[in-house]
Amino acid sequence: MFFTAISTVAITLFIVGFFLIIIYDIQGILTSIKSQVELAVYLKDNTTQEFKDYLENEIKSWDEVSEVIYISKEQALERFKKENEGSEILKEIQGNPLPASFEIRLSNPEKVEQVALRFMTREGEFVEGIDDVIFGQNYVQKLFSITAITGSIAFLIIIMLLMAAIVLIFNTIRLSIHARRKEIEVMKLVGATNWFVRIPFIFEGFFEGFIGSLISVVLLYFMSNYLLIRGEKAIIDTLHVKDLTILGPNNIILYIYAGIVVLGGLIGILSSGFALKRYIRV
Amino acid sequence: MNMIELRNVTKIYEDKTVALKNINLSIKKGEFVFIVGPSGSGKSTIIKILIKEIPVSGGAVFISGRNICNLKTSRVPQLRRNIGSVFQDFKLLPNKTAFENIAFALEVIGKPSYVIKIQVPQVLKLVGLEHKMHSYPHQLSAGEQQRVSIARAFVNRPPILLADEPTGNLDPATSEGIMKLLSRINLIGTTVAMATHDKNIVNSMRRRVVELEDGEIIRDQKRGVYGV
Repeated sequence: MFFTAISTVAITLFIVGFFLIIIYDIQGILTSIKSQVELAVYLKDNTTQEFKDYLENEIKSWDEVSEVIYISKEQALERFKKENEGSEILKEIQGNPLPASFEIRLSNPEKVEQVALRFMTREGEFVEGIDDVIFGQNYVQKLFSITAITGSIAFLIIIMLLMAAIVLIFNTIRLSIHARRKEIEVMKLVGATNWFVRIPFIFEGFFEGFIGSLISVVLLYFMSNYLLIRGEKAIIDTLHVKDLTILGPNNIILYIYAGIVVLGGLIGILSSGFALKRYIRV
Repeated sequence: MNMIELRNVTKIYEDKTVALKNINLSIKKGEFVFIVGPSGSGKSTIIKILIKEIPVSGGAVFISGRNICNLKTSRVPQLRRNIGSVFQDFKLLPNKTAFENIAFALEVIGKPSYVIKIQVPQVLKLVGLEHKMHSYPHQLSAGEQQRVSIARAFVNRPPILLADEPTGNLDPATSEGIMKLLSRINLIGTTVAMATHDKNIVNSMRRRVVELEDGEIIRDQKRGVYGV
């Protein structure tokens, strides 16, 4: 019975931990994509330096804006050349057809539309001196709704997994107590106090929870070090996402390990405490 | 002095069965009382009420002059340490030897091990099983198992011993041995109340008989027999 309870704790909490890592990573990817949302404001070629300075100060004064970078015509051409190195297209270019622009990053990416609208007049045209504003309208809206939905689905999955884990562990511990109900009955009959009966079972529950959760942490550790860490490396290389469970700067994985051990111990104690209630009332 | 006293005790179970109706019963210190009656007459209910396994629905129960109906849950173990109980199914732990089963009863009430080492062999000698100390329940006959369970009930020298059909699973010859044992325990001064429907035992012992029928006392007779 002891080993059944331990393996139940180990397996269920391992699944909870595994999903926590995956879900945290997915959320990390989505938020990082979200924070990469930016506006590009293209200026007309004939704008003056004063207009450029005025516009830059104006944009910087907006609360939603976290960063403004000015890209001059020359810088734009540089960048274009770099990005298309060795391509035929460079031979076709004569002079500098690229416009100067402001690249704006937002502290609050959800406000991207509102910010974009400030470059428009009431008639729906761009403000004098501005050629175009680009921020991938449809894509941004979809992205926000996707992150919102995945966030709540992830939360639901974790809650459901946790509940399943708790119910499973509780039932296993209750069965192991049920198997010893005769012992409890005799103890009560000969005048053992409730605490005398309870304490060994609560200790046992704690050990089952604690050892089971330690095993699940060890499993998770190997899982992350040999499997998940490769995925995260790939995510960092391709998407430049920083906030990840294992490789991220916040050591989230350690919190997950600690959380699982605390949770295991607690579930063990509470399960045996609650399960005993029925048998102790003799 | 009344060791056990039931005043107007009524017990109605949750399924509305009336197990006891207005029972008045006094048992003096050192008495030996048979509680007889057909199945379902309320014999076991009285035993369960006395060890506070179940609460009464009405009335009051006194053990050594103390009302146990308003006893706090935390005081129930103390009550049970003063009442030994013996059952038809022995209630021995199968994975413990005779010695360990009895020692267990002392351990759970916090007796130190040197006391246990002295008291357990003594009580096993009293029930005539000192040579089977290290046998497990399945290695013992039913009669021997019941002796172990009596030894466990008595090892703490409680002033009261309750027995619920202790001979229910035993043949007549073995039952006689058990009754001799209970008589001996009674002779030492222990108040013994035994629920039974074993006619021969009651008739041969000629002790006080309280007869129950449908939850009511219909006869209370000194030196009585099973049926009228």
